[in-house]
Amino acid sequence: MAQFRANRLDLGCFINKFVIRDHTKRKVFTEYETERQALRYIIRNTTLPQRMRASAQLKLSQMHCYTRPTQIHNRCLMGGKGRGVFRDFRMARYQFRVNALEGNIPGVKKASW
Amino acid sequence: MAAPAYWRSPFSIVKRLRISPSTQLQSRCQRAGLADISNNDQLKISPSNNTPETLTPEELEKLPVGLRNISQKVRDTVLSMPLPMSVQAAYLRPMRRPSTLGLPVCDLQLRSYSIRNLEFFADFALRAAYYLGLPAKGPVPLPRITERWTVPRSNFVHKKSQENFERITLRRLIQIQDGHPDVVQCWLGYLERRSYHGIGMKANVWEWEGLKVGKRMDEQAKQADQAIQDKWGNFGVRVNAATAEKMEKLLSGKAFSQQPRPMEAFIREPIEIKRG
Repeated sequence: MAQFRANRLDLGCFINKFVIRDHTKRKVFTEYETERQALRYIIRNTTLPQRMRASAQLKLSQMHCYTRPTQIHNRCLMGGKGRGVFRDFRMARYQFRVNALEGNIPGVKKASW
Repeated sequence: MAAPAYWRSPFSIVKRLRISPSTQLQSRCQRAGLADISNNDQLKISPSNNTPETLTPEELEKLPVGLRNISQKVRDTVLSMPLPMSVQAAYLRPMRRPSTLGLPVCDLQLRSYSIRNLEFFADFALRAAYYLGLPAKGPVPLPRITERWTVPRSNFVHKKSQENFERITLRRLIQIQDGHPDVVQCWLGYLERRSYHGIGMKANVWEWEGLKVGKRMDEQAKQADQAIQDKWGNFGVRVNAATAEKMEKLLSGKAFSQQPRPMEAFIREPIEIKRG
């Protein structure tokens, strides 16, 4: 969302709109994480008044969707792809293959057994 | 660097000795502490047979600078000087100190993708332990960690044609026994300072305590708290975070302070029930 996006590009990897979007989501999530956790605590605490818990529920559900951790999705650093991204290398499968064959990834070799 | 297996097997008596195929002069120059000449392989001069006059200028040039303008006698003496013990030890397997009690104090795990670097650094760590006076066990070869990935060869579809990749992490364990904790820390610090490329290190350190540990730990904790406050007092506190204020407002609002507790009329203390 435009209100969260940085005015200047603050990324050093492959850039496309999806990468920027995901990066923005990550930043927004870290910013609002404590608030979300506090609201979640109020909602789950059964010793608090029902009215308050209900209002906390409302507040949580009304928070921007970018503040949710589930919005974050790993993307390929080299190509910005969203599918088939290895968590170990933060690269999609094809970029992983290319870099492994070039010997850019320490210890990764072609296997045969 | 290491001698091949067929070299070692016949010499079971001198098992600690590492035999490397080297020319005569090379070993002599090393013995004299002059191992910095590079082209050792061409030098096959035995100094005892050659007088200074018989050495051709080319042969002289191949000698280390310090050995050129001296008489044959002096040169012979220099070349036949014994190697210092500490230098000699570099050609042998690392020495070890025996442990008295056998209490493990530190487990150092070395990890790498490259066996050469790993073996070399494990050897280095053992030597460092010896010279610090620490009894060390190992290096124990731990099971290798093999990770494999299969990816399609193409960037799009064609799932039938795939390629396998693997990464094998090799591990070595070095255990220190009966060492003083400070010395162990010193050893670990030294290894970290001299850390080798492509080698990861992980250490589990145990300390053995006398009685009344709790009281001493309480005192130490107090001191540590103060030290932490100086450095990490603001850890986890964000300057721009308004969450705490918001929560305070929320909790001190009417909704929380004036409302009765839920089901307040029905709340009672538990009663003890005796059963015959």
